Amino acid sequence: MEKMINLRINGRQIRARSGQTVLEAAKAAGIDIPSLCHHPAIAPHGACRICLVEIERQRTLQPACTFPVSEGMKVETESPKVVEERKFVLQMLFSERNHYCMFCEMSGDCELQALAYQYGLDHWLYQNPYPKISVDGTRKYFIMDHNRCILCRRCIRACTELAANNTLGVKFRGAKTMVSADMDISFGESTCVACGSCLQVCPTGALVDRKSAYTGRNAQVERTQSVCLFCSVGCGIEIVTRAGRVLRVEGEWEEHNRGVLCVAGRFEPVYDNRERIKTPLIRKNGDLVPATWDEALDVIAAKLKTTKGNQVGAWTTCKTLNLTMSELFAVFQGKIGAYVGVLEPTLAELELPLGGTLSELVASDCILVVGADPLSNHRVLGYHIKRARMKGAQILLVSDKSNELSGFADKKFTPEELSKAVKICQAAATPFVVYGGETTQKDAEKLAGLKRKAHFIPIFPATNGYHAKVLGLRSGMDGNNKEVIYLLLEDVTPSEEVVKRAQEVKFLIVHTSYHGPITKTADVVLPSLLWYEQEGSTYNLEGKKVPVRKAVPLPEKLIPESEVFTQLAARL
Amino acid sequence: MTKVKVAMDWLAGCAGCEMSVLDMDERLVQLLDKIELTSTPITDLKHPPKDGVTVGILSGTVNNTTNVEVAKEMRERCKILVALGDCAVFGGLMTMRNFFNMEEALKRAYIETESTVDGIIPSSEELCKPIKAVPVGQIVKVDVHLPGCPPSADAIYHVLTELLEGRIPVLTGDNLKYD
Repeated sequence: MEKMINLRINGRQIRARSGQTVLEAAKAAGIDIPSLCHHPAIAPHGACRICLVEIERQRTLQPACTFPVSEGMKVETESPKVVEERKFVLQMLFSERNHYCMFCEMSGDCELQALAYQYGLDHWLYQNPYPKISVDGTRKYFIMDHNRCILCRRCIRACTELAANNTLGVKFRGAKTMVSADMDISFGESTCVACGSCLQVCPTGALVDRKSAYTGRNAQVERTQSVCLFCSVGCGIEIVTRAGRVLRVEGEWEEHNRGVLCVAGRFEPVYDNRERIKTPLIRKNGDLVPATWDEALDVIAAKLKTTKGNQVGAWTTCKTLNLTMSELFAVFQGKIGAYVGVLEPTLAELELPLGGTLSELVASDCILVVGADPLSNHRVLGYHIKRARMKGAQILLVSDKSNELSGFADKKFTPEELSKAVKICQAAATPFVVYGGETTQKDAEKLAGLKRKAHFIPIFPATNGYHAKVLGLRSGMDGNNKEVIYLLLEDVTPSEEVVKRAQEVKFLIVHTSYHGPITKTADVVLPSLLWYEQEGSTYNLEGKKVPVRKAVPLPEKLIPESEVFTQLAARL
Repeated sequence: MTKVKVAMDWLAGCAGCEMSVLDMDERLVQLLDKIELTSTPITDLKHPPKDGVTVGILSGTVNNTTNVEVAKEMRERCKILVALGDCAVFGGLMTMRNFFNMEEALKRAYIETESTVDGIIPSSEELCKPIKAVPVGQIVKVDVHLPGCPPSADAIYHVLTELLEGRIPVLTGDNLKYD
């Protein structure tokens, strides 16, 4: 059992766990100690000195965020001496760079500003020297304005501890200290992977999101907790919206990804400017013309009724929610006996387990990566593998292609040498197997030997591959010559092979969000919802069912995919 | 009861603070029962009276040699000096040009502006000289700081009523804003 410690904070008797800091103990007891450089998701640093407290028998004031509790300790958090020092610290912070709130993007949401309000700072004692400091706008999605930086180093710690990318650091010393990337190059040229973790933890207006800058303060926006649908990691996200518009995406701290996202989930979706399909479309005299849902579903139902069940094929991307996939299966296979499959591999044939968690992965001492390149397409998982490596884990990479993880692998093996890697895992204390879409059945047989010993994390090539696996849907369109094909693509651009196969069919129904080569030959096109309009659930890479929530009202004339199946079933 | 004399003047500013003073609406009329506005930038008399006032209010940044004279005149003629708004308190927008040297700033303003054709930098002897932009407190002693861009009518009313009660106002809650 953990040792408990008795201490007094502001005269109140508190019990804390041994090893906790004064700040943590106070917070657990409901006592607020202001902090600025501290962030619960990253290690304490003690850079800003805002959390200074008076501790009996300590010669000077001590930072609560780094000072450990001890038996009989007496702490004062708001004594006159403490308040005076905090005001002084604030005066110093404001005196250094450009902290004019009136033209700052973060005004209203800034943690530095909030503290100045809290301590009644109505003017500055020390006049700003107006140092000429640059703004770095070389990154695509967010800018760094060094003028607003207070050198709290949250960004640096987030880069190192959360994304395990180690791009950020500081250059120079004292008042000239600056946050810098790699060996002092621009952020755009640096090893930055644009995961945006630094942006999310910045307490001031130093890091600013380009897209959502000046579009609304926290009090003016709505936040919807949902799931990122852009890979099977299934990161928890908060979709920030205002007046039905998506402003930006932030990482959810309480989910398995612990606030971390990647460029494909945080930024790229907000920049998608493909042409949206707004209504159902029916081909008439060679052209696709807008139609009502009733007209479109009547045409589909009529076609399905006059076609033999075994001449109908329905394929869906795995990027669909649980209910959508189940209903598709129920309607097409259950009701008309059609073939139902998925476009991407489901890893079902490998017969390997799942259930390993990201938190356990980070604590693992040996990670075996097979048939996958997590750093290029399941990046948040990749960051966690790198985090484990920083804590001493051995990374074993089995790959014969170029792989983003190559530079971080302790040992590399060709697929033929997999047995050697398995042997190393057998000798480890808490081994992990991360297997992806390129794992062969032969590989799987070798990996099966680790079932008792290791945790397994599958990397499904598409978001909800797990549900497709559970439903037993087969993947791929090979060897299925059908008269009628229904394709549910959501916002996925299909491969050329799928487009080619679809072009050969007599009657093609495409259910998708965007126009593209696939809709050119379709006989009926149904519009699908986008990631921030979907409501339901999906599975994340830990095999946990997670709720997906709608962040904006649905555009007129659009209905959810599962509702489309219900209406279609009623016609059959 | 004799009314308390209050004088206002402005330095380099945008008149937003004066708009906020007017935003006190009917409360301004009530205040005028107790105070006499001797001079303001938006009334006929511009200079504070020579025999002095109790409260002097300055908005705007000290931006040139004329601003220095105006600030010093107000300080000499008032007992309590209030710095009104972000420019007077912190230096405000005008301080953005402190990040450049004067030559660069003048060139940008009078010659390189996109809408300017054949511009020249004014150099008449009659004109004041631009100086480094600083808050009022850097030039003369300020007794009450009221930041905000602009400060709300409520905050201005709070400051004036507190002064009328004989107290130095303390800004808390919504009355203390920097934007």
